[in-house]
Amino acid sequence: MQKPNPLPALGGLAVVCLLIAAPFGLPVFAMTLLTELVILGLFAMSLDLMVGYANLVSFGHAAAYGLGAYASGYMLLNSSMPLPVVVLLAALLTGGVAIGVGWVCTLATGVSFSMLTLAFAQLLYAIAFKWTSVTGGSDGLAGIPRRAGPFSITIFTSKTGFYYFALTCLIGAYFMCRALVRSPFGLVLRGIRENEAKTLVLGYNTRLYKITVIAIAYALGGLAGALYAPFAGFANTELLFWLLSGQALIMVIVGGQGTLIGPILGAAFFMLLEHQLSSYTEAWALFFGLIFIAFVLFAPEGIWGLARRAFARARAPTGARHG
Amino acid sequence: MTPRDLARMSTLALLLTQGVNALSQAALLFFLGVGLTLIFGIMRIVNFAHGTLYMLGAFIGYSLVRYTGSYWLALVLAPLTVGAIGTAFELGILRRLYRRDAHAFLMVTFGLALVTGEAVRLLWGSDALQVPPPALLSGVVFLMDEPFPVYRLFLMSFGIVVAIAIWQLLERTRLGLLIRATSQNAEMVHALGVDVKLVRSGVFGIGCGLAALGGVLAAPLVTAAHGMAATAVIDAFVIVIIGGMGSFLGSLIGALLVAFVQVFGNYYLPDFALAFMYLVMLLVLVVRPGGLLGKEA
Repeated sequence: MQKPNPLPALGGLAVVCLLIAAPFGLPVFAMTLLTELVILGLFAMSLDLMVGYANLVSFGHAAAYGLGAYASGYMLLNSSMPLPVVVLLAALLTGGVAIGVGWVCTLATGVSFSMLTLAFAQLLYAIAFKWTSVTGGSDGLAGIPRRAGPFSITIFTSKTGFYYFALTCLIGAYFMCRALVRSPFGLVLRGIRENEAKTLVLGYNTRLYKITVIAIAYALGGLAGALYAPFAGFANTELLFWLLSGQALIMVIVGGQGTLIGPILGAAFFMLLEHQLSSYTEAWALFFGLIFIAFVLFAPEGIWGLARRAFARARAPTGARHG
Repeated sequence: MTPRDLARMSTLALLLTQGVNALSQAALLFFLGVGLTLIFGIMRIVNFAHGTLYMLGAFIGYSLVRYTGSYWLALVLAPLTVGAIGTAFELGILRRLYRRDAHAFLMVTFGLALVTGEAVRLLWGSDALQVPPPALLSGVVFLMDEPFPVYRLFLMSFGIVVAIAIWQLLERTRLGLLIRATSQNAEMVHALGVDVKLVRSGVFGIGCGLAALGGVLAAPLVTAAHGMAATAVIDAFVIVIIGGMGSFLGSLIGALLVAFVQVFGNYYLPDFALAFMYLVMLLVLVVRPGGLLGKEA
């Protein structure tokens, strides 16, 4: 037995403290970037629940993001409900829709599953274009407010307040997901990931488990989208486009699938790289594609996997290296 | 003729025009789908870059038409170029991944799609580019007083010719035998002394080339544009899922089904046209999870 290592917990606490202190030290544009990073991190983490733990490789996770964003945008524009309620409702709605999506998509497995999720996302994309009265068509929804309330709390209206709200959502969702994957439910998911046929024979209704995890992952993805709409002030069809689904998958893989933390790091890596590359060159997607291919080829366990290996090496006594 | 006869005539003519449209569309979709299904059948991998290579075919076709002035030359050279790029990608990258799971392929080809898409934007710019059809095919012919674009009739017949050619290749030649055998049991083929790796590189190249062929042929109809990649890759997947992964006949049936649903859906209920394709796919999957002619669930 190894003694529990206090380092990760302490490191995590330090990072959370830094994130909480960030608004006091960072300039405004950096805070905007950080808020978006928190939201994208939440989005990538929600996808990891499916990809990393149940081997459900979704190519259409933008469906969750876009649906959450449109739902929250529509409610903020057309009702007087306070922001946290709207965000929560949008997440629940996305999760509810995902039960239907999951039911259909789990008819197939493997690659066909990926393609069905993609097809569903494209269907939503097409609907968002056509259903102009609700979605605003190709213009999208604009001028989405960050409304005050409930009980005349005005904290969410400011950029800093909204950042803390998003950060709370991310941290809360992280601990929820961590508890979930360590629970008996999470063990069944891993069983599905490693060998679905065996898990089925052991008496688990694997399809039901898959639909459940899809609903949870979509709800959290929807939460991210629901945060994005009032953050950016708009929701448009880009949020439902397959490119975003692909990018989310990149974040998960580059960060390290099946680790929850990894995809958040992947999202950070993605955003910072995009930010840096796009200030040097127009063709950032070209370099990004190359970096992504390199990760799949040479570091399939991602950034977090590399970091963990480095930690383990540092902790191991000299000479006792394992490969 | 009574007015009733006239109405009947025009309905018939309408069905005929739309039918030709659908069949020419089916030809394009078939080139996309059959490439994807050949690649899947033999390598068990899904080429996410298929739509981007289709687009690349259209853009290379544009440049070839522009600088050589010959559409026919473009029709030959563009698929060969893209096929060579595909083979190079297989040799350089895919080959390292055969021991990994299927998702590694999906992601690596997604990376290829990103890189190629961006390269096309850098080389040709962001605008849609017009590709004129060759003079021989640019007119219309009249059948039952209805005008038919010659180009669509050409696409239709070209599709039939290529379908028969691929079928004959698969059934009658040694290469076809190797392709079919490898898709059934690659290890056994390898044990019999055949270089399976070479077959894989070749088939990946052929599949990519077929996608590019579809792209060059589509260019005069829809211009060479960036949007065509996403539409094409999804159409191709829908076709292959409907027909059954790895089935040649399946991709043909899938292409016909999708083309008719798209064309007639667009004509009668344009607002819902996109949904029909997915509904058909859904229906097929509910009844037969492995696709119409597929073996695997």
